[in-house]
Amino acid sequence: MYLVADISVEICASKSCKLCTQYCPEANTILYSEEMGRDQGFKYGTAYVAVDRCKGCAQCVWVCDNMAKNNAIKMIMIDQLPKAALTDNITYGEKSTTAVLASPVVG
Amino acid sequence: MSLDYVKFSNGFEKFMPKEYRDMVEHGPFGKKVSVSQMGSFKEILEEHPMCAGCAMTLFIRLAMIAFPNPEDTITVGTAGCGRLAISQAAIPFVYGNYGDQNGVASGLSRGLRLRFGDKPKDVVVMAGDGGTADIGFQQVLHSWFRKERFTTIMLDNEVYGNTGGQESGMTNRGAVLKMAPLGKKFEKMDMLQMAKVAGCAYVATVVPNNPRRVESVIKKAVLIAREVGSTYIQAYTSCNIEYAIPTDKVMEDAKTVENDRYQFSEYVSEEAKQYLTERYGYKEFLPKPAAPAAAIPSKA
Repeated sequence: MYLVADISVEICASKSCKLCTQYCPEANTILYSEEMGRDQGFKYGTAYVAVDRCKGCAQCVWVCDNMAKNNAIKMIMIDQLPKAALTDNITYGEKSTTAVLASPVVG
Repeated sequence: MSLDYVKFSNGFEKFMPKEYRDMVEHGPFGKKVSVSQMGSFKEILEEHPMCAGCAMTLFIRLAMIAFPNPEDTITVGTAGCGRLAISQAAIPFVYGNYGDQNGVASGLSRGLRLRFGDKPKDVVVMAGDGGTADIGFQQVLHSWFRKERFTTIMLDNEVYGNTGGQESGMTNRGAVLKMAPLGKKFEKMDMLQMAKVAGCAYVATVVPNNPRRVESVIKKAVLIAREVGSTYIQAYTSCNIEYAIPTDKVMEDAKTVENDRYQFSEYVSEEAKQYLTERYGYKEFLPKPAAPAAAIPSKA
């Protein structure tokens, strides 16, 4: 198993700084959804990770902890995530994306 | 090279992979995108084999977003880490022999102007410090002296990271590397000064811990290269493998290095300033309004 980034919706959707989307070295990996977060009653949308593309560098953790001071991102073993976003389940819209969360581990 | 080459052929849409469909329908082609929208649109850079946490990868990602017209852009590269990602973007990439990237780009840039006339087709060279300052040095400098109209970006990781850690001309004096165990004995090459002496219209240094600045610098360099002359960007993109930087400390290192020896600098020739102002509406080069004269105390 290996580590991937996991973003706390509670914290992210209350702050919505979007810094992690700009600092992740991998393209199309940390995405932003206007719906996820708002549909749970929070003020903003939230960033989320397409875990099949995450290489586990934890740069987003440093950015979130030290630049944004939000402490919303943790590294978690991929099999400890009950549900996560995967590239195949992500839909791009005009100004946002949506993801149907599913188990990241097959079998 | 146009918006047409990213469209589906009739009847083939349903057979294309999801990533491709997303890119055509929600990519940056034909639109204006910026770093503030990152995470909300499909980027043209795809999965690639570069190391986890690589600052060069981040810089390339930002560069692809910063190109003013990605559908009218061709990138040129050479051997080195960067080409592993640059070649995985949905814009044409020309892979030169080692060191000839600026020669290839010169011919390409001239050919595109002959073929497409006034319609801008941007050529952007992205190569490492070895490809630019060592092995490609002669062709880089000559392209600048000839004032070839394309952008040269050095991805400066201060080492030959792809081949095990040999010192390059851009390695700092005293740096000890796996294949330079006694430490480098010479100073880092001053490519910025050489670019100015060779007549580049725009010269800038940048570090990827400021995405908006990277975007701004690349946009200006590409636009100036359309008509005014050669442009050069030197970007610090650390090698976390050869310099043993933990991946979660890569941005901390970038910040430290920026404060220490890689401060942001920008040289814009007068002609380039005028061009950006008049052609693209840049306001930052307009003459600053004179400060209001201090009130003269009236004599009692």
